[in-house]
Amino acid sequence: MIWEIIWDQMPHLLHGLSVALQLLACLLLVGIALGLTIALIEVYGHWSLRFLCTVFERVFRGIPAVVLLLLFYYGVTDFIEMTSFMAAVTALGLRSTAYQSQIFRGAIQSVPPGQLAAAQSMGMSKAKAVREIVLPQALRHAIGPWTNEYSSELKATSLAYVIGVVELTRQGKYIISSTQGNVLIVFGVVALMYFVVNRAGNWGLYRFERAVTVPGFERRAS
Amino acid sequence: MRKFATTVVCAAAMLGTTSANAETLTAGVEAAFPPWAYVEGGEYKGIAIDAMRAIAEEQGMDVEFKDLPWPSLIPALAKGKIDILVTGLNVTPDRAKVLDFSIPWWENDDEVLVTEDSNLNVVTALCCGQTVGAQGGSTQFTWIEENLVNADTGVEMRGYEDYVTAVEDMKTGRLDSVVTSTDTAQTLISKGQPIKIVGTIQQNQPQALAVQEGDPHELLAKINKGIMAIYNSGQWGEIMHRYQPGVQIRQIPTTMPDYVDSYEKPIPGYSN
Repeated sequence: MIWEIIWDQMPHLLHGLSVALQLLACLLLVGIALGLTIALIEVYGHWSLRFLCTVFERVFRGIPAVVLLLLFYYGVTDFIEMTSFMAAVTALGLRSTAYQSQIFRGAIQSVPPGQLAAAQSMGMSKAKAVREIVLPQALRHAIGPWTNEYSSELKATSLAYVIGVVELTRQGKYIISSTQGNVLIVFGVVALMYFVVNRAGNWGLYRFERAVTVPGFERRAS
Repeated sequence: MRKFATTVVCAAAMLGTTSANAETLTAGVEAAFPPWAYVEGGEYKGIAIDAMRAIAEEQGMDVEFKDLPWPSLIPALAKGKIDILVTGLNVTPDRAKVLDFSIPWWENDDEVLVTEDSNLNVVTALCCGQTVGAQGGSTQFTWIEENLVNADTGVEMRGYEDYVTAVEDMKTGRLDSVVTSTDTAQTLISKGQPIKIVGTIQQNQPQALAVQEGDPHELLAKINKGIMAIYNSGQWGEIMHRYQPGVQIRQIPTTMPDYVDSYEKPIPGYSN
């Protein structure tokens, strides 16, 4: 009987999953754009900017995701009109920015500094050398650690229900409350859906990493 | 190109969820709280949902529902994230300080639940080393704390996010009893949970809708008028019986405790 209910409710669970994936895509995009910027500043920027970025990154890595969500929904939205979804994208996106900045910083620093010097000595400007010599290698190096970030942020989207985003976990909760039971089965199905998306994403990222590998510059022993 | 595609998805998702229309009343619900408010087949259902729709129609307002977890509802109302709180909300002195109640439309008692095969009775279920569960922050939670835990009856209390999880825990033996409202107890039993009621704590606990403290949007008069209108037209009785067949309809307003400011005369939309 419960399986029939779950089957009937599958479109709603899938809708919840799609909300979760939209949230994930948005917050990761915020994280890539800002995280990469911060990483470049932390490596090449003026010390005052570097200091500001480090403060930002420490703060957002040091606060639990749920607390950030509540802070943004109840605090920041007093000044800027925001829906629950936008508040979740902002809170989780800035948190992801902090984590991603460290992934990108590490990747940039793993490119031997001699390459930058060599490129500049051949007449390239520093900006051009960073863009064309350092970043293409660093971004490839970043894919591996970035896979972890994907997984962890996918799981973090399940917290957004606390500020009213009706994502997969909340849709599961709806089934439990309307049937007044079946906690284990419903959350089991929800868990399986997260797991499948998680593995599929990881598999895709591995494939992507291999597809863009430059022979001779592999970092993963395979 | 990939980034561009994601940006489009993002923008669409954000626009899709932006529906802040000034004309529309945003009603906050905890949509995991049958029979008052829940989601089934992707649609909002429940006594509070149907009644709020009927009141809005009666008063010529549009209403949209916003689902928030129970602990977030009162802060969301205080912050103006929602215009009105619509659920099986108990009227209490603490809540009366931070929000304004409509006239009370229902009354509840509390029920003591144990598992079907339990030998506990109303006395032994609530004393002497038993572990009792309730929803965190609920009136039942406060009642157990004040009357049992603080009174050295040897009762240990546990708070839960909702009553489904409390009952699940009781079924696995981690709880000896659960205290919940009559409505919730009957819903749990009617959905086939293997539990029984061993006693009733008479509370005559009034329930009402709530708006922001001070009623800044002047909603109370409309809401009170709407409640009386659907009560007098018999719509309220129909809604009640849709979710609780056979239940005796109480006269509205039910008990109006004198600690509630918004029950001081004149009550907007109800009395002079």
